[in-house]
Amino acid sequence: MTLALAGHGVARGIAIGRCHLVVRNELEIGEHRIAASEVEDEIRRYRDAVEAARMQLRELAGRMDRGAAAPAQEILQTHIMMLDDSTLQRNTEEHIRTELCNAEWALQTQLEAVLSEFRSLDDEYIRTRGEDIGQVVRLVQGKLTTEDSDRHLEGIPDRLADTLVIASDLTPSELSALFERGVGGIVTEHGGPHSHAAIMASSLGVPAVLGVRRARSLLREGETLILDGGKGLVYASPDNTIRKHYHEVQAETRRFREALEKIRDLPASSLDGRRVVLMANAERDAEIDQAIQSGADGIGLYRTEFLFMDGGPPDESEQLAHYRSAVEAMDGRPLTIRTLDLGADKLPEVLDFSEPVRNANPALGLRAIRLCLRDSARFKIQLRAILRASGHGPVRCLVPMITNLEEITKVRSLLDEARAELTHEGLAFDRDLPLGAMIEVPAAALALGDFGRHLDFISVGTNDLLQYALAADRVDEQVAHLYELQHPGVLRLMQHIFREAGRMKLPASVCGEAAGDRRYTRLLLALGLRDFSMGPGKLLEVKQVIRNTDIGRATAALTRWQSDPTAHQTPLLEALDASQT
Amino acid sequence: MKSAPTTIINKLGLHARAATKLVNRATAFQSDINLVRGQRSVNAKSIMGVLTLAASMGTELVILADGPDEEEAVAALLELVNDRFGEEQ
Repeated sequence: MTLALAGHGVARGIAIGRCHLVVRNELEIGEHRIAASEVEDEIRRYRDAVEAARMQLRELAGRMDRGAAAPAQEILQTHIMMLDDSTLQRNTEEHIRTELCNAEWALQTQLEAVLSEFRSLDDEYIRTRGEDIGQVVRLVQGKLTTEDSDRHLEGIPDRLADTLVIASDLTPSELSALFERGVGGIVTEHGGPHSHAAIMASSLGVPAVLGVRRARSLLREGETLILDGGKGLVYASPDNTIRKHYHEVQAETRRFREALEKIRDLPASSLDGRRVVLMANAERDAEIDQAIQSGADGIGLYRTEFLFMDGGPPDESEQLAHYRSAVEAMDGRPLTIRTLDLGADKLPEVLDFSEPVRNANPALGLRAIRLCLRDSARFKIQLRAILRASGHGPVRCLVPMITNLEEITKVRSLLDEARAELTHEGLAFDRDLPLGAMIEVPAAALALGDFGRHLDFISVGTNDLLQYALAADRVDEQVAHLYELQHPGVLRLMQHIFREAGRMKLPASVCGEAAGDRRYTRLLLALGLRDFSMGPGKLLEVKQVIRNTDIGRATAALTRWQSDPTAHQTPLLEALDASQT
Repeated sequence: MKSAPTTIINKLGLHARAATKLVNRATAFQSDINLVRGQRSVNAKSIMGVLTLAASMGTELVILADGPDEEEAVAALLELVNDRFGEEQ
């Protein structure tokens, strides 16, 4: 009979495989007395153990892939910091000195003290962090008692593909060790959605169900398990119906991925023979690599905010180094660098510190190009770096949140100044560096015909354009339902943009989230879009839809839907899909 | 001694990642730095201390620094809080 156990589904995905129970040898922490003369040696032993634990965590963090596993790395950083915590260290050493006891015991006493303080807090998330401290302390205690650091993973095979590991709980270091051995999925008895194991598993893409009580007593070593990380279910001895269902789900996922692999090197052409440009959005190196691997035609949006957020404003050479490495990686395909797109609320150091910025409404306040033009000397540094990068390969400069012609003119004149300076300094750059505007302000979208001729290209930021056009913040749950691309007014606005751009021969792309959402691909094509830019992971999915779309038919279906009110009985996306068969 | 009041404005509050950033920033200064919430005062260079503040969005804190670089320390931590610890919301 099938046994179904429920827990917290914290990392999506289906895993089918053999059950492996981890029976942890719980460390026996005993107390023993030491002589006063042994105190210094005991403290040294404690410090060595902390150092060994720190080395292990550092090494793990270093081995992790920097792009996808960023949250996992951050968790390891937090653990390293807990390890180095001055209060914990000082109190433990103090305890060894005054109580004349062994380091393991002193650490245990300190742990109990910290945990009781955490337990008293009226905040579930923070209480959960007690788990982390317990894990860090156990790591050090392990180093104190034995040389073997991976004691908990003793007896676990080196290769874990098709194996599901069932444990009481898992520390980030254990979890990443399991990941490196290719573990199929993870079940723990303790923990929940706030546990760091949850964030780690999801960041590493390992299906996981946490908080399955008594899992180790209910499941048997070696039996076949099915784990549904999305639903938070674990099936033991699954009957044929369940087996068949999950095998189908797995096969479908695999087929979908294989189908995507096959079109990697094929053009993004529609059934009626129209070529569509597919670019990627990127900011870190890992995303650039992923963009190249997915066969992107270029980078349609290279964000630069991260340069300004990690520490103070970067100088010209620091910026140039980043832009240049991106241009060179793209190897002849265009790189569209977006100038700083932050709100004043996020960047207080740019403004006078004595007068903290308290915007009544940051979304409508001093942000993006408005903020940059407030401090044009600093903005020119970024323009110079972008110009200099264009000496190393094709670069385009994209300015966010353009509202009126005056802003475009100001950017142009700053670019002219920068060009004159660089020429004078004898530095190389592209004289014809294309200048583009992000179309996010509805009035700018409507006025495209008026100032489009001052631009070389445009990119529609649908996230903000929709927010401003519909007067609804999509992160505000109470009004998020109003935020929709299919609103008839938004459709008209988008059609206007692409029609005007087409008339003026102005290249126009969309770089908002809609561009990477394959549910909307046909709609965007029907609206007139031929140039998409999206997260590199979405590129093949969107290409697949394009290759299965007759754009002429989709456009006709959209026109019909818009002109005939009774057509609204069929949802628009369904009507577009129906037009294809 | 230098002090400044502030309010946690990021959606997630002083959770683990934000606390890690704060402790990292605080540790770079020589001054003793404390965060005060009501009657509680914790060492800003201790992750355990900072976490036990359980400061969610809207919590009012006072940053207290004492030492040769107290001015810079308070300014740097204020900046980090106002910057929502680099988070979107």
